Order: sequence, then C-alpha cells, then structure tokens
Amino acid sequence: MVLPQGGGRDRGRHRLVLLALTAITLLSLDLSGFGPIGTAQRWMRDLLHPVAEVTGAVVSPFANAWNAIFDYGDLAAERDQLREDLDDALGAQLAAEAEREAFRRLLEATEITYLPTIPTETASVVRTAVGNFDDHVITIDKGSNHGIRPGMAVVTGAGLVGRVDRVDAITANVQLLSDPNLVIGVRLASTDEVGLGRTIPDDPLTFVIDRGLEWPEGDDQTLFPAIGSVVVTAASSRYPAEIPLGRITDVYLDPENDIAMIVEVELANDVRDLSYVTVLLALGVDQVPMVPTPSTSIPLNIEVPQEPEAGQ
Amino acid sequence: MSVPFRLGAVMLAALLVQLTVFVDVRFFGVAPELLSLLAVFAAFLIGSERGPLVAFIAGLIWDVYLPTPLGVTALTLAIVAYAVAKFNEGLFQDSRTHLVMVVFVASGTAVLGYALIGGIMGSAELLRIDMFRIALIVGSVNAVLTPLASPIMVWALGGEGTMR
Repeated sequence: MVLPQGGGRDRGRHRLVLLALTAITLLSLDLSGFGPIGTAQRWMRDLLHPVAEVTGAVVSPFANAWNAIFDYGDLAAERDQLREDLDDALGAQLAAEAEREAFRRLLEATEITYLPTIPTETASVVRTAVGNFDDHVITIDKGSNHGIRPGMAVVTGAGLVGRVDRVDAITANVQLLSDPNLVIGVRLASTDEVGLGRTIPDDPLTFVIDRGLEWPEGDDQTLFPAIGSVVVTAASSRYPAEIPLGRITDVYLDPENDIAMIVEVELANDVRDLSYVTVLLALGVDQVPMVPTPSTSIPLNIEVPQEPEAGQ
Repeated sequence: MSVPFRLGAVMLAALLVQLTVFVDVRFFGVAPELLSLLAVFAAFLIGSERGPLVAFIAGLIWDVYLPTPLGVTALTLAIVAYAVAKFNEGLFQDSRTHLVMVVFVASGTAVLGYALIGGIMGSAELLRIDMFRIALIVGSVNAVLTPLASPIMVWALGGEGTMR
C-alpha cells in the first residue's frame, strides 16, 4: 500500500517541521489581525459562496429527506405542540395586544428614540454551524456590501438574537445569544438597574444576569425586580439600547456572594430555529464596561453609518 | 488530468458537501469531517513525505470556514497525517479492515487535536467534555464513509498506493 521511499523518513520529518512552522506563522498573523490573511479568507469565502449556494440547492432534497426520516418523531411532537400553542395563542391574543401596548408605553415613557432612526437590513439565514465546535454561529446572506459591520446587533421581532462576528462581502457570521461567551449589558425595566449577563451552557433559552445587581438591603421586597417584567439591552452595553431580551422568571441571592443578586430571564427568541433576522446598522461601544453604570445617566453611544461602503 | 488538479477538485467537492449536506445531515448532532478523512487517506496512501502536505492544505481550506484562527486544523491534520503514515510504514500487511480502523482512530484523534490546539490558541471553549463524544462519532462516521472515499482518493492520487 505505501511504497518504500528511500530517504523519505527524514524528508517527511523535515517537511512536517516546515509545515508546523508555517501553520504557527499563519496562526500568529491571523491572531494579530494581519490584514492580508483575513482578506484572503474573505475572498475565498466570497468566491465559493455562489458555488455553495448552487450545491446547497441541488442537495437540499437529500438533506430534507434525511431530516424527514430521522426527525419524524420530533416533527410529529412539534406539530402537536404547535396545535396546542395555536389554541393558546388564539385565546391569549387580546391579552398579548394589551401587553404590546404596555411595552410600547414603557418605551415611550423612557424616551426611547432609536427604533425609528436606526437603519436595518433584513437577512435570511444561509446555514447554521458548519463545524462541530461552533454551535452558536449562523451565516446570513448579507455582508459588508450591505453596510453590515462586525459588532452590530442582530434581532428579530421578538428581540436580540446575537451580534455580527465575521463579515465578508456578501455574507456574515452571527454569534448567537446562546453562546455563553457573549456577555450582554442589560437593564431591568421594572427597577432600572443595569447588569451583565449571559446564557447558561446547554440551555439557550435561559439568560442569567449575574454581575452588577445588588441584593436589596433588609430584603426589601419592593426593591426586587418583578417576575415577568421585561429585560432590555442597556445603553452602556455594546449594542443599541432597549432591545428586548426576554422576561424575568426568577430572582435569588448569589450563593457565592451574599450581597449580589442573580436574575434569570427566559429569552424571547429561540435562536436554534431562525430563518430570517434583522441587523441594526449601528455601531455601539466596542466593549462591555466592566462596571455597569445606570443607563439613565449615559447617552446612547451609537454611531449610525451614513453610507455603506461597497466592496469591504 | 494531473494529480494536484484532481486532488484540488476532490478537496473542493468535499468542502462543498461539508458546507451544504453536513450542515443539516448530522449524526447525533455531529457532522463527519470529510477533509480529515481525505487527510488520513492521503497519509495512508502516499506516506509521510507528501501525505502531511496534502493534509495541511486540506486543513487550511477547512480553517477558512471555522471560527478558530487560520492554521489550527492545518497543523492538526498535518501532525495526524504524519503519525498515520509512520504507523502504516511499520506494518507488514494491511487490509481494508485495517484502513477502516486507522480512519476511525485518526479522525477521532484529529478532533481531539483540533480542540487541544484551538484551546491553546485561545479558544478555551473547545476544551469541553463533549469533545470526546464528538471525536467518537466523527471517527465512526468517517470509518463508515471509508469504502466510498477510498476509490475517490485512489483516483485523485493517480493510482498511487492502490488498495491491496
């Protein structure tokens, strides 16, 4: 099977050393943000994107058939669940409308003006994770040609989905809210407190605010955030303020710090099942501040790009 | 058609299948690693001198789409390919069963190596207990795909190291 190679053993070892050195050089350059490395990768992805699109269309019947066969049980259960949900939704429609009105009033009361002024770009989800270790990434069909830049917030009608991570000319990767490494600065609408939170590993629907919130002195119940109240992005976060995240489901004392409060939030979006998303074309501050500050004392730190630059 | 052209075509096809079919078609939530499979085959068929180079290029192509820095997969696959080639050189006989076992072990090792090197390079989230499950499934599925990949790689390599 393997042909004898005179002197090949030494040459093989030397070649492996050279390959390792090349890989380490590439790693170092990529980690240091060396421009041509990133540009070359973007070109390759942009070049292959149309081919991948066509291939995807050709093989989609196979993928659909596979999912139909192996996910049939899940689909049947999902259908039954959807029927129940539809019944519930019809009954709760009026109540939901009342809640929406209340939320609109809440936004008006806090003088939020960003929603009508920030331009948006709607995109469809091209694919979910390609590898086995990047569970919290999706690819969308809009990129720098459409004004999208790294760090922009990605939302749906229900609220925040994630942030733009890697941007090519015609596609972009979105780091989803389900990634526990994605820290978000948030504001509790019921108490106006600001904290930092993230999702729990392996539970993409639960968001935990575990930094920045203090347990009320004397266990004063009136100072607790209300269960069911809305949590939104804070003005001091890296995203535009007042994007809904979800509703508070639990409040408890931090077991590791008896003056800190932990708040659990049920996220409004299930990021595991997205078809379309909207990118807010506004750049917030670059990093989440280490010490949260009251959002009411800080102006919105948002820069709205005037003209999307083509070809980036 | 020259060997580099055929190898390039096979790598491109494997990448496209990986980016389209195996985004949806998963086995217990895990996708097979076709470029790892090609790398192991190359090492098995053409030895330690050129096998790691083919593996390196396959890894580099795959790196472009992964969130880890460029070079992590390339380095991993080159090392795994060299180990496979050296291991195989010491054997007096081989068989398809042997090849399947090598693909299983080497593909799983490549997953663990990727997580380890990626973790060292700053992606600490790769180092999780789940990586052993992923390695096991990738190794198993790649092993199942071996009979399909074997004639393709033999063709791509111009008949070098044809199967006994």
